[in-house]
Amino acid sequence: MSATGRLVIRTDRCRGCRSCQLACSFARTGEYSTSGSCIEIERDLRTEGTSPLIHTICCDLCGGRPACAEACTYGAITFEPTSSAAIEYRKGAHGDVD
Amino acid sequence: MVTWTERTWFVDLTASRCWSEVASLEEVGPMIGGSGRGWQIMADRLPPGVDPFAPENIVVLNPGVLVGTRTIGASKLTAITKFPTIASEDHRFYTGSCTSGGRYFAVGMRQAGCDRLVILGRASRPVVLAVGDGGVVIEDAEDLWGRGIDEVSVELVRRKGSDAGVLAIGTAGEKMVRNAITIVDRTNSLGRGGLGAVLGSKNVKAIVARGTGGVRVADPQAYNDLSNELIQRAATWPRHDHWIKLGLAAGWSTFKHTQNPGMWTKDRWDELYGEEKRLESLRSVIACASCPLSCRLRWQIPDGEFGGEQGLGSPYSKSATSGQLLGIEDDRKMIHLVSEANTHSGIDYYTTMRLIDFVTRMYERGRISAEDAGFELTRTYATYERLFRMTAEREGIGDVLADGWYRVKEVLGPDPQEYWYAGVCKGMDFIYDARPSRFHPLMMTFLTRPRPHHGGAHTRTNSRGKSLEEIREQVEHWGLSDETMARIFRVSTYAGKFNVGRYTAYMEDLMRVKNALGLCTIYTYQALVFADEMARLYSAAVGDEVTARELIARGERVSNLAKLINARDGFTRADDQPPDVWFTPMQAPEGAIEMKDYFETKVLSRDDLARMLDDYYDERGWDIATGHPTPERLRAIQLEIYAGETPAGP
Repeated sequence: MSATGRLVIRTDRCRGCRSCQLACSFARTGEYSTSGSCIEIERDLRTEGTSPLIHTICCDLCGGRPACAEACTYGAITFEPTSSAAIEYRKGAHGDVD
Repeated sequence: MVTWTERTWFVDLTASRCWSEVASLEEVGPMIGGSGRGWQIMADRLPPGVDPFAPENIVVLNPGVLVGTRTIGASKLTAITKFPTIASEDHRFYTGSCTSGGRYFAVGMRQAGCDRLVILGRASRPVVLAVGDGGVVIEDAEDLWGRGIDEVSVELVRRKGSDAGVLAIGTAGEKMVRNAITIVDRTNSLGRGGLGAVLGSKNVKAIVARGTGGVRVADPQAYNDLSNELIQRAATWPRHDHWIKLGLAAGWSTFKHTQNPGMWTKDRWDELYGEEKRLESLRSVIACASCPLSCRLRWQIPDGEFGGEQGLGSPYSKSATSGQLLGIEDDRKMIHLVSEANTHSGIDYYTTMRLIDFVTRMYERGRISAEDAGFELTRTYATYERLFRMTAEREGIGDVLADGWYRVKEVLGPDPQEYWYAGVCKGMDFIYDARPSRFHPLMMTFLTRPRPHHGGAHTRTNSRGKSLEEIREQVEHWGLSDETMARIFRVSTYAGKFNVGRYTAYMEDLMRVKNALGLCTIYTYQALVFADEMARLYSAAVGDEVTARELIARGERVSNLAKLINARDGFTRADDQPPDVWFTPMQAPEGAIEMKDYFETKVLSRDDLARMLDDYYDERGWDIATGHPTPERLRAIQLEIYAGETPAGP
């Protein structure tokens, strides 16, 4: 990653809308494609809960304004400015009402 | 600039053959694309008089034009077919459309490069249709036949990948129970009136979609900027936090008015089925693709006989209304049956519960005998559960209920027009009652659209208590002429402060647009996206500058083709009639509830509704006596090739 900052993933807040994937691919390629993004959505078939998994080999934090964080209205992906680059997962129950 | 096209995949199940055709914007644009073009394919390919279960019936699945992109609530799939609900005493069947959201299925189709799937013929053995990057493949499904919807959906996701979308039928669809629905992505129901039964008749157990391609728009910058603006509007909507906490468990106070059967006091209903009760079983809220206002639910029955049972979808409205109709005070029992319907059989809960309410009351009144029914139809949960399962399995009297309201009349005697709650039109029961709801445009569209279900046709008028200014503000975005606006908002003795008939004509056309684009109805219902913004989204997506008025005019073409297909099958104004029960006051504990206009200025009569129907047909330029599109109107909207197909008048 060339840019700095911390992507914080709160898995308990993910609702599975896949907006992060579509925003990511759009930022990278100009087209919408879930498989063309740097994000995989893990799907729990027991609950239909979901959580984003960022592929660090692919993600460059969009140069410091990650499209995924801007696209997530549920607060499942947020971005905090820091002096180094990092992705942090804060695990919780999938999709539980808070 | 992207050159926008649509690829349609055809599957001939009889010949085991799949092929695709690509159409240009020039060819598709006049019908919008998506389900708009899908309706044209039905008009061109479906011969009149075809039985819904015959191989000649067609199913067209249309992801919206905007599905697969990131914009506000672009998740919708529209299915079009001739439905097997017996819609009249002489056994006519309507051709209609139904819509559903989802996370994976419609997006998967688009990403696989399949913008539409047309299913023809009948397979000789059970099959699954697999939509993927290489096209459509017909796969054997002998091992899936006889299994429940959820089990099959999970199995197919395991086989195809975790982002595979699945549309599946249950055991009721296999047995061609005429109301059987499908379930999309485990969370969304699709096809009241029998889409599941049509697929069952074709031996299609499920359709699975997964693609790895991308969806491009013509003007990415303009499209993305407007989408961001709309998504932010939804995310900062004053009711946003409440909505995403409860999803479809929200809105109890509004819901009570629209579906109140008037048997319990409202306080009692609150106590047994209200928001607090819902929270006892609500576990999580799930979003459809690109939706900032998630609404699908995962629930788990907390305790009791069915404790631990869980399901997906939206059990609360269904269970609350049926619970009151059937006098079941334990919400867990009703949710259990919703769960059975959605995860296993795919039977339509609304219709089945109302039929059970009807026949058990008629038994109580001595109109149906134990001999006719095969056993005593007591008003108990044990009987309801038994009838529910017998209908799904087509056993005994359940075989009659599985064929719907007119079959009940033929075999058991009571007329569907005698049903006391909400009523029946074209062989389908309504989920809202016009008396507690008031006669708003959604109720009107239950009469005028071929398939009498809301199917995602909500505008501000579907909730009570909106001001005339708020209603007018939404319509102002439709780009109608001053003369048209004056006709819609002219005060009259029969329609009140606005003319529901004239309003409904344009509302239906706008909803044709919304469905063709694949946008969720919650956003038009809550006034979070307006028609002119839909036009800007469409323009940026396909590279064709259109205004709201122009887009609604294209929606009008879709409405005309939909009506014309049904006119060819013998439907007329005589089928667009309000149920008798609307004109009988509902005797609720709080007092009699009569059907009134939206602003409750008067009690509406049959003559009032007839005049609003006159206005609806007049606004459309249709024949007021027959309710049919006229050759003149078809020519005026550039559908001249269909002008010769309008049936002669009565």
